[in-house]
Amino acid sequence: MPIQILPARLANQIAAGEVVERPASVIKELIENSLDAGASRIDIEVDKGGHKRILIRDDGCGIPEAELKLALSRHATSKISSLDDLERILSLGFRGEALASISAVARLTISSKPAAQAQGWQARAEGRDMDVSMAPVAHPDGTSVEVLDLFFNTPARRKFLRTEKTEFTHIDEVVRRIALSRFDVAFSLRHNGKMLRQYPRATHAQAQAKRVGLVCGNNIMTSMLNVQSEMESLHLTGWLCTDAQPTNDTQYFYVNGRMMRDKLINHAIRQAFEDWLPTDTHPAFVLYLKLDASEVDVNVHPAKHEVRFHQSRLVHDFIYQALRDMLVQVGTQEGAGHPQVTPATANEPRHNYIQPLQPRITEQPRSYATARSAERRPSAVAVNAYQHLLSQEQHNTAPEIPCMLVQQRYLLSEWQERCWLVAVHKLQRHKLLTKLQSDIQQPLLMPVSLGVDKTMQLQYQTLAESLQTLGLDLQLVRDKLILRQVPAGLRHLNWSAILPQLLICEESELSHTLVNAAAPPHQDYDRAQAYALWHWFVGLEEWQQQLRQMGQALPQNWLENYAN
Amino acid sequence: MHPPASAPKSIDILLQRARNLAGLTLGELADMAGVQTPDNLQRHKGWSGQLLETWLGAEAGSKPQQDFPELGVELKTLPINECGAPLETTYVCYAHLTNIAGIDWLSSNVRNKLRCVCWLPILASRHIPPVDRQVGNAFIWQPDESQDRALRQDWEEIMERIALGKIESITARHGEVLQLRPKAADGSALTDAIGEQGQRIRTRPRGFYLKKPFTQQILNQAFNDV
Repeated sequence: MPIQILPARLANQIAAGEVVERPASVIKELIENSLDAGASRIDIEVDKGGHKRILIRDDGCGIPEAELKLALSRHATSKISSLDDLERILSLGFRGEALASISAVARLTISSKPAAQAQGWQARAEGRDMDVSMAPVAHPDGTSVEVLDLFFNTPARRKFLRTEKTEFTHIDEVVRRIALSRFDVAFSLRHNGKMLRQYPRATHAQAQAKRVGLVCGNNIMTSMLNVQSEMESLHLTGWLCTDAQPTNDTQYFYVNGRMMRDKLINHAIRQAFEDWLPTDTHPAFVLYLKLDASEVDVNVHPAKHEVRFHQSRLVHDFIYQALRDMLVQVGTQEGAGHPQVTPATANEPRHNYIQPLQPRITEQPRSYATARSAERRPSAVAVNAYQHLLSQEQHNTAPEIPCMLVQQRYLLSEWQERCWLVAVHKLQRHKLLTKLQSDIQQPLLMPVSLGVDKTMQLQYQTLAESLQTLGLDLQLVRDKLILRQVPAGLRHLNWSAILPQLLICEESELSHTLVNAAAPPHQDYDRAQAYALWHWFVGLEEWQQQLRQMGQALPQNWLENYAN
Repeated sequence: MHPPASAPKSIDILLQRARNLAGLTLGELADMAGVQTPDNLQRHKGWSGQLLETWLGAEAGSKPQQDFPELGVELKTLPINECGAPLETTYVCYAHLTNIAGIDWLSSNVRNKLRCVCWLPILASRHIPPVDRQVGNAFIWQPDESQDRALRQDWEEIMERIALGKIESITARHGEVLQLRPKAADGSALTDAIGEQGQRIRTRPRGFYLKKPFTQQILNQAFNDV
């Protein structure tokens, strides 16, 4: 089969599969449209469980003639216009699918008259490409939508329709749910011409409680408690019945006016009632959660029974705690009669040490790890010197003197029209000597400990002071000599090899022994190391004299003699 | 050298005491403190921690209180190998699985425990017998901004799962720097937790642990040269 664009009707029929499951879902979508149109009264008429006919009439703002045609196309909506709007959805619908989907699987007629328009118009979509035909019609202000022969063209769907009675029960439930979400709108529901439900507008608390009684049954209403709780931008209000119910039918939860059957919410409620109700019984409630629209994502599923909260644990805990607090309160007021709600600490082991600490630290976080890591507190001068040293390394304004690493040990450079050769290890030794004078110590992760006999101990005693001056923190513990801190920047050296060498040398030779051990002449350097050293070197003030001492200028005529 | 008679009065004194232990072996420290060194730490869990607490002047003994509450400092021994790499994850604290509603990062035990830590590295490769394990240089650590953020993200993710009843789905692989693992030495111990439907369930007790790369990062920060 070649790839082809689906005809409009087929595409809409596919989409309808998600939204239009049964007559009740048609009614839900249409009532939501009426509510979004600002209706204050919505009348619903159903024939034969909605199989045959559904009519929804509202007194909302109506649809202007010019837009009526568009209203039947898929992805046409007046509710959002940009992705930003999707972030803060306040209307009930928003996907722009309902009318197009319904008209793809039924004979849909929409009649509407905005107050400002003199004449009402009627539109219907028909045929393979869903062409819309328009005709003038007599109609009061508002909109009515008539849906005939649901699923007449999708026999597979039709097979799933249940009996009239069952389908009407679903419709009745949809109307209840919506009636509980909008006390400011009057609803009426007729079945086969008989008026079955009437919910007048309820503008004050008493009337609202009455409507809840009408919807949930007055026997439940007698034991309902008022819920009112808020935390930051979260508000929970409504009614809660603390008596056990045999079924979970009377459970209505609204998030920003939208009815939800959400896992997270159910989890929080169930958790709150743990230990309160006998197993296999259920609480009854009508609860309204209000929060900032940007805190929820309702674009999860077309039927929109689930939401995604951006801070799900916060919302979950808020609901749990609000209900739990209420139950505990009721429990203490009523005393016996209800199982006592006790905090579920049960058999948890005691962990005193988990009590929150009261730190006395007022310093900035990093102060300890860095500045104070030197045990021998460096003087301000020393700190400055070290920082100077660091800044010299980091912000070297050294002149760019080109050089080249030869045989991994020598640097060849050109300066003042002469070629110079200098051994890299000499540069490194020079650098180490500078560091030794910086008077800052740093601890070794793992100190070096050296077993020392009596003679070695004596030798150490004579050198102790000089070693300390050098920046080595040594201590004789029992028959071990422990090296804990070393001059700053030298931690990476192999101290367990260097320490024995230091202990056998003359006092005057200490620093040279140290740097020689740290930078032996036979050591190889990679380019990065060598160039970094060179860069550091030419940044020194006295580098030119140093180069004359450490390096060797090649004879003036060397290049001439050898190159030609 | 003798173990101090009293608790350290300041963080500086604590650090000083800890630094004085650097380079000594557990055997030497036990000897000087008049304590016997076990041959095998498997059967004496917490022995090295207790010994070091004695040397730092913490309230030793069987109490679970193992830190310096009056200084707000937590002591953590950190077993490392010869290359200076952590050998195991670091236990932070017990993870409460019920009564956790509304607890946020700022009031969490994990954060309180990790606000200021005195790390005490110990060279403890498996082949070194306890007597010969050498103590390293202690250092005081407080999480910097990015470390705090990383801990917080993991903590929030794990707590959300616990609160929503998904405790059994949390594995040690969750979390970049922090992980949740069964804690009790005895695998049959059970505690209360929240189930998937909001009901109460029984599960193994859990603890929060720092992952090895994170402690490695802390070590690097403290001991790598500029």
